[in-house]
Amino acid sequence: MKDEEWENRELEDRLRRAAEIFDPLPAGALQSAIDAYALHTLEAELAELAFDSLERTAGVRGPGRARLLTFRSPPVTIELEISVSGGTGHIIGRLLPPQPARIEIHGRRPMVLTADPLGRFSGEHLPTGAFSLRCRLPSLVVATEWITI
Amino acid sequence: MDHATAGALFRAAVAGDAAAWKALVEGLSPLVWSVVRAHRLNEADGIEVYQTAWFRLAQHLRRIREPDKVAAWLASTTRHECLKVLKAARPLPLSDHPQVFDRFSDEPTPEEAVIGSEEAALDRERLHRLWQAFHELGERCQRLLRLLMASPAPNYLEVAAALGLAVGSIGPIRQRCLRQLRVLLAERGVR
Repeated sequence: MKDEEWENRELEDRLRRAAEIFDPLPAGALQSAIDAYALHTLEAELAELAFDSLERTAGVRGPGRARLLTFRSPPVTIELEISVSGGTGHIIGRLLPPQPARIEIHGRRPMVLTADPLGRFSGEHLPTGAFSLRCRLPSLVVATEWITI
Repeated sequence: MDHATAGALFRAAVAGDAAAWKALVEGLSPLVWSVVRAHRLNEADGIEVYQTAWFRLAQHLRRIREPDKVAAWLASTTRHECLKVLKAARPLPLSDHPQVFDRFSDEPTPEEAVIGSEEAALDRERLHRLWQAFHELGERCQRLLRLLMASPAPNYLEVAAALGLAVGSIGPIRQRCLRQLRVLLAERGVR
């Protein structure tokens, strides 16, 4: 006699086959994850996500409202304000303590920004998606944790 | 992929083995994708979250304290990114809406090519009706069952991390949802 758990497993197996046919991982996605390995053997100090307004704000957030983010590494703090509208983002940032830097944006389309001597930088037309900043400071390189914008 | 295999591949990747990283990505990608789809993200947002999860794991290679729990770490990271994307609530084109989301691949799977076309078409039709019935379940059931469809099946620790559920609640919810699905299938005469 078939018990219910046997039937459960059989049904799950069929669901698994259905998902493989009707909802597979989109082609191309796998390769981007494989390629991530090479990117991160590059040496950089990691700045961890310490604040994200998306974690704080309760209720519905409309599109176009700015997202506030703070990334911290022991030597440097990076504060960002990102607003997304019409499929692209606008970013305003500053480095603390203030200092000049070359800011590389990693994501769907790489971009380079420059922080002035007060540590301020801004950029437009950021592609949405996976996003990380690499800040080349005079003395070291700091990379922010990946987030999705 | 079991814990020991994932843990061993992860340790090898930390030690510089790019092939081990590739095998880890291949082995755990279905889990990550299932977490994304369990949260009903559309395809474009889903790919972005999938990438963020893997990029972040690569970035944290040397910081993961329990390599044997790398699957749960990925499931939890993916879940948090999903919740943020849902909260940012970018407008969703109708064609991309998860409910009407139904991607056929016209290519026969290797398995189908072996079985033969007529039988394969019947089998596919049955699976499609199962897939439709699944989408009639409540949101909670769809979320859990979509996650359990990851290949290989995730364990309850990973399910808990992926959905923010208590481990003890998963078994009863699963039982209830599978029963509901069987009732739907019986009503529609799908076997």
